[in-house]
Amino acid sequence: MDLAFLISSAAKVLIVLGFVLLGVPLIVWMERKVIGHMQDRIGPQRVGPFGLLQTIADGIKLFMKEDLVPAGADKVVFIIAPALPVITAFLALSVIPFGDTVTVLGHTIPLQITDVNIAVLWILGTTSMGVYGIVLGGWASNSKYPLLGGLRSSAQMISYELAQGISLVSVILMTGTLSLASIVKQQEHGWFILPQFFGFVIYMICGVAETNRAPFDLAEAETELVAGFHTEFSSMKFALYFLAEYANMMVVSGIAISVWFGGWHGPFLPPVVWFLIKLSLFLFFIVWLRATYPRLRYDQLMAFGWKVLLPLSLLNLAVTAVVLTLAANR
Amino acid sequence: MIEAILFSVFSLGAVGFALNVVFRRNPVHCALHLVGVLLSLSGLFVLLNAQFIAAIQILVYAGAIMVLFLFVVMLLNVRGETPLLTPGAAKGFGFLFALLGFVELLWIVLGSGGGEGGASKPVVVLPPGFGSPVEIGKMLYSTWLFPFEVTSILLLIAVIGAVVLAKRKFV
Repeated sequence: MDLAFLISSAAKVLIVLGFVLLGVPLIVWMERKVIGHMQDRIGPQRVGPFGLLQTIADGIKLFMKEDLVPAGADKVVFIIAPALPVITAFLALSVIPFGDTVTVLGHTIPLQITDVNIAVLWILGTTSMGVYGIVLGGWASNSKYPLLGGLRSSAQMISYELAQGISLVSVILMTGTLSLASIVKQQEHGWFILPQFFGFVIYMICGVAETNRAPFDLAEAETELVAGFHTEFSSMKFALYFLAEYANMMVVSGIAISVWFGGWHGPFLPPVVWFLIKLSLFLFFIVWLRATYPRLRYDQLMAFGWKVLLPLSLLNLAVTAVVLTLAANR
Repeated sequence: MIEAILFSVFSLGAVGFALNVVFRRNPVHCALHLVGVLLSLSGLFVLLNAQFIAAIQILVYAGAIMVLFLFVVMLLNVRGETPLLTPGAAKGFGFLFALLGFVELLWIVLGSGGGEGGASKPVVVLPPGFGSPVEIGKMLYSTWLFPFEVTSILLLIAVIGAVVLAKRKFV
């Protein structure tokens, strides 16, 4: 543990943190613009060029709002809950490789905060901890709609985590490693999207469900639950939930890119640029989904998760295992 | 040095959270402190070079089982429930189990040969890759294959049993 390692790690942490904090307002702007045009509207256009500063203005507005704590709320849990999903999202981001190694002053630095040999498990673990923020936020509000929203979301996340994990296992079988950096390295001459297309589709569906976004936004279904788990949250507490949702979109996209779409690999352009291009495309795709599909009904959501996605992901795993065994014995 | 600091943070954290699990009145708070205990333990696992176990601890216990605990506690809202044991019996059982646990710990500590007067144990040199998923996988599927398979069959039986119980019509 020398000084160079400490400095480079601190720098990487700051870069990723800054990127997410600056990127989220941009994604929100992109989402409002894209959905606006998809619905034949214009979207934000008043603040700044193309309405670019709209999200900044909204952020300042949220800062100025009164910070309410409902009567009878569990105060400590109510304050801690909004921070939890943000923390877990950042923890998950720490293992996603966003570029090849760079050499600075004779030190070779991998562009990834840390390369652990259990990265995939780490990501699954941290995202599964993210549900606490929502379920506790719902519970601590001492109000019926938030509680219902929180419980819905915990059931949803537990159900979809299984299929998500199993779809990742199929790729792990092919690569024989749990480290995201090695998984990306192995995709130099072919992305895993070709052999593992079904795994990717299953993962992406579960990923969108994990971020609690449309068409899986039952936890905050406006038409039935006011605003779900964050009904009672105002000011920066609400903003934290908002931030966590978009940071989680980045996590889900980052994993999909690293595991199925070759990570930072790509011709001509530098690796980091490729990663950013892929990331933007994925974020656009998730926004596009929201503009396209209506919300699922609750029983449909559960039936889809347990009776369709889970068996399909197991089938995908079994086929992958059989093919790999046959290929190894030939 | 850093290891000593981390060890004290995680172990003190584990003990503090565990005390809160016992003494808190609100069942949801108890469950949350139990999550804290599990996270501290996984930190200790990392210090023991068992990263895989640490990740599994977070993924399975803190991430899945405790969420279900919370789920049940919130849905049932057990505050007004009549307890299974009378307060006296609960205290008796608690004392008995605490005593058993203490004796067991004492047994391990005294039996390990270290401590006062005895020579301290030599530092164990870990083989390369100790605690990594690869090594654990190799051991599970070679040396410990039989217990591994027996455990999986046991879990399968439990799953089928749960389905059968849930499907039964209570008349």
